[in-house]
Parts: sequence; structure tokens; C-alpha cells
Amino acid sequence: MSVIEVRSLNKLYRARVKEEGLGASFRALIKPVYKEVHAVKNISFTVDKGEILAFIGPNGAGKSTTIKMLTGILHPTSGEISVLGFDPVKQRKQLSYHIGTVFGQKSQLWFHLPPVDSFALLGAIYDIDKKTLKKREEELIECFELGDLIKTPVRKLSLGQRIRCEVAASLLHSPDILFLDEPTIGLDVVVKQKIRELILRMNRDQGTTIFLTSHDTGDVEQLCRRAIVIDHGEIILDQPVKKLKYDYLNRKIIAVRFNLEQHLDVPKGVVVEKSGKMGARLSVDTRVCSIDEAMRWIISQGGVADITVEDPPMEEIISTIFTGKNTAE
Amino acid sequence: MKKLKNILYLIGLYFKVNLASAMEYRSSFLMQAFGMALSNATFVFYWWIAFSQIGGRIGGYDFKDVMFIWALTSSAFGASNILFANMFRITTIIVTGELDTFLLQPKDVLISLLCSRTALSTWGDLLYGFVLMALTHGNDGMVWLMFLLGIVIGGLLMTAISVTAHTFTFYFGDASLIGDIALEFIINFCIYPEGIYRGFVRAMMLSVIPASFIVHIPLKLARSFQPGLLLILLAFAALYCFIAYKFFYHGLKKYESGNLIITRM
Repeated sequence: MSVIEVRSLNKLYRARVKEEGLGASFRALIKPVYKEVHAVKNISFTVDKGEILAFIGPNGAGKSTTIKMLTGILHPTSGEISVLGFDPVKQRKQLSYHIGTVFGQKSQLWFHLPPVDSFALLGAIYDIDKKTLKKREEELIECFELGDLIKTPVRKLSLGQRIRCEVAASLLHSPDILFLDEPTIGLDVVVKQKIRELILRMNRDQGTTIFLTSHDTGDVEQLCRRAIVIDHGEIILDQPVKKLKYDYLNRKIIAVRFNLEQHLDVPKGVVVEKSGKMGARLSVDTRVCSIDEAMRWIISQGGVADITVEDPPMEEIISTIFTGKNTAE
Repeated sequence: MKKLKNILYLIGLYFKVNLASAMEYRSSFLMQAFGMALSNATFVFYWWIAFSQIGGRIGGYDFKDVMFIWALTSSAFGASNILFANMFRITTIIVTGELDTFLLQPKDVLISLLCSRTALSTWGDLLYGFVLMALTHGNDGMVWLMFLLGIVIGGLLMTAISVTAHTFTFYFGDASLIGDIALEFIINFCIYPEGIYRGFVRAMMLSVIPASFIVHIPLKLARSFQPGLLLILLAFAALYCFIAYKFFYHGLKKYESGNLIITRM
């Protein structure tokens, strides 16, 4: 059963353009010039109940604009949206009782107060009676391992602790759909992993549908079963993450630093992207050479001082998808 | 009626949270409030000198009348800022995309955004008005009643002016300057006797920049109560606030959001 249905959705902005310099500023004052920015171009998709969908793309691709139209913040220029049977433009308030949102860059917690005070205010905003709120708070404190954090002023929490509290706050009213916009932005690897585990647990235990936008390929790989890739406002790919992984997320970047000068004779599936006397940046095709094999080979060279494994950046993946698409065409 | 009850409930909720937040910095709170009251007190001295030099009345007002409009302006400004401190930040809230947070909640967007911040120093403005009234008007019941009513109406009108001015941001971009100028105008018009204003300015004070409805009419009512004038005052304040509210929601349809990093203080 679909909980989100989007048909032929478009969003156009009118942006002011100005040439460089003071003279141009005066000219723009008298005769402003505008250009139309097509932020979202005719996109259509559906999301099923209980699904974890990744909505990914580079900066400025149209991810946030889409999420803002789905939640009723922005009005579409044209097209149709139905979220849990509500029209976000006409029924924004009714819809808000059924959805939760976490915007990585925007906090709904009071900075100087402990989260428990913000929870009480949010409980009242969402018309949750005191008994239900108390019970829900206890569930979330346990699920998100908030413990003493709940009584610590937000300004004293680390970013990871704050995001855990943010996600918990967005779930107070037991929403059916949770929109997560870059929830792991700025977090370190360990905290990212923790947040991902909590999101998965919530989806599994409560059947919450998750709509996730992220820049982080790790979020997509570990959380989602399906991914929609958007770029320049258009959907360029909509497929299971398993296939996306095989086709596009099949490369890892290994940065290695040695204590001694090394001459690298790389195995099949490994390409040297950059090398110096004491280190190298290697690209590993995991379909040909597993990370396990690649690491063993590196260690066998001896004198390893430092090693890091990273996913390729999202921009590169999008570019690969485009190249593949264009070649196929 | 139910909507009004919900709005008052929401204002009460935010007030409690804001007060708790302010109490996190007790000494800063007390210092700012005391500093503001002290700064206002210097103007009493100025008016005292003016009246003792000129004598009699200025613009139809005696010293006590001037103290009434000063006390009312200060307390109305203080009350509006304690409850609706974000009235100065509406442009910033629109431009940075902070408005998203309020749009995602099931309560009134404008009321939520106005109430979600308090200004510590303005407790000094609110209390200063009461102290000034106690010193200059003693226990005159009707004067106090009109003073209290004036605080409510004045606070709402000042907020409505700010909302109207900042709402232009939805149409033109940055309207923070219009907002600043509108509030400066209203306060400047409020703190001088009505009789010194003539013609066009007087007309402005009875319409777009309704300073007369904030202080001068409450003073008239305190001097001699007229039920008809009270009804006009209440009707004007309700209409002005209604127009500001509707204007904001009309502008809201043009909202384009933003992606700056936001923290709620």
C-alpha cells in the first residue's frame, strides 16, 4: 500500500540575477533581472508503507525541495502529492500530526534547555495527553539510550547526542512516516552507525516508513532497500539498493601511508589513483577484489603506518550513473 | 472562540518554556532587566527638567500625563517583547528557512514563531512602566485599569505593526529595515504628547502607525471614561491585528524556505 504518491511534480523558483560589481547592483535596483530555476522537474514516484527509501543526489539536486513539498513547507508549481491520503498544501496541519521530520541543519530543541522540556512543549503542540506522553518518552529514552542526556541542556550535548534527541523528539507523536533530511551530516563514523541502527530498529519495531535524503552512501547502503537518485531536479534512477550497490556502489577508496618507501604492484581490481613515495590512494573494484583481499595485500607489503577506507563521494557516483546512462543511450 | 482559546494556550506554553530558558542565565536576566529600567529612568529626569523650565502643559499634557504615556509605551513594548520577541526577527526567520520548523507543526504558524523567543531585557521595560505609574499616579483605579488595558492593546498593536512590516519580506526580499523603521516610528510617536502632532502625521497615528490607539486614547479614557471611545479602541485593535494576521498568511504562500543551520535559543 502506497503512503506517498507523487505525480508529475514541478517546482519553479524565480531568482534574481545580477552581474558583478557596484554598477550592476544599481542597475539591478532599477531594473531587476530574474531567471527561472527549475528545482524539481516533473518527478513521479510512490513509497510503500514500512519502506525505507533513500532519496539521494548531490547538493542542489532538488532533494530538500522535494521533501519540503511532501511535508507542506513549500507549495509545488504543478503536479500532485498525496501523503497518507492528505494533500500537503491544503491539509498541512492535519498531515503534521502523522509525520515526523528531522532536518540535520535545523533543531527543534531549545538550545538552553534539557530535551525533556522541549519534549513537554512538543507533546502539548501535538496534543498528546500527559499520560501518553510520559509513556512515549520512556519508550524513546530506552530505544535511543538517552538516559541522563534527557535532563542535560542541549548546548552541553555533543552533535551525535543532540541528533539522537532530535530523532526522538520527532517521534514523540508516533508518526507513520519519518522524513530524515541529512540526519548524519557532520557526525563521526561511530555515531553515524549508532543513528543508523536506531533508525532501522524503529522501522522494524514500529513499522515507521522512512524517507531519507542523504549525501552519505553509507546511509543508503546500510539503511535502505530502495533508492531514488535525483540530479538537477530530475529522477535519474529508481531501483533497489542491492542493484545500485552492484552497479554503482562497487568501489571503495583506500588511502594508505607507509613507514618505508614502497613500489606497489597492485592486484587485479585495484587501481592506483594517486601515489607518492610513502603512500597511495587506491581505488578498489569490490566486484573483482574484495576489501578483505585488498587489505591483506596492503598489509603484506609491510610497513603500514596508517590506512583509511572510504566510500567514493556521492558526486562521483552520480557522475558514474550519468556516464552509464549516456553510454546506454 | 475555540481558536482564541487555543492561541492563548499556545502563548502560555511558549511563555513557560521561554521563561525556563531565560532562568538558565539568572544573573544575565537580572542585569539586562535592571539596565533597561535604569536607561528608561533617565528620560523621566529629562521631562521633569522640561516641565520645570516651561511649566504648565506641553502639547496639552501635564507632567503626569506624559509619565502615563511613557509608562504605557514602556510596559506595552516590554509585554510584546516578553511574549513575542521574535517580532523583530521575522525577516531573519523567513530568509534563513527557520520558518520550516513552525510549518511542520500542527499549530498556528504566526503565533508559534512570534512566541518562540523572549527578550530578557524587556522585563525591565515592563516593570519600569509599573514603577513609574505607582510613583506618578498612586492608586487611581480608572487610570490603572486603562493602563493595564493599554498594555494589552499596545502590545498587540506593536506586534501587529512589526508583523505587517516584516511580512513584506515574502514579497520583496529583506524587509528588516522596514520593520525597524516602523517600530521606531511607533515608539517615537507614542512618547510625546498628542497635541504636538498635526495634519498628516496625526492621520498616520490614527491609521497605519496607530500610536494614538496605543497611548493617547487610553489616556483620554483614563481622564474621562467614554464607552463609545473604548469600543472604537477595541474594534480598531482587533481589525489591525486581523489585517496583519491575514497579510502574513497571504505572504506565507510565497515562502521559498532556505537551508541555513538553525539553533533554537
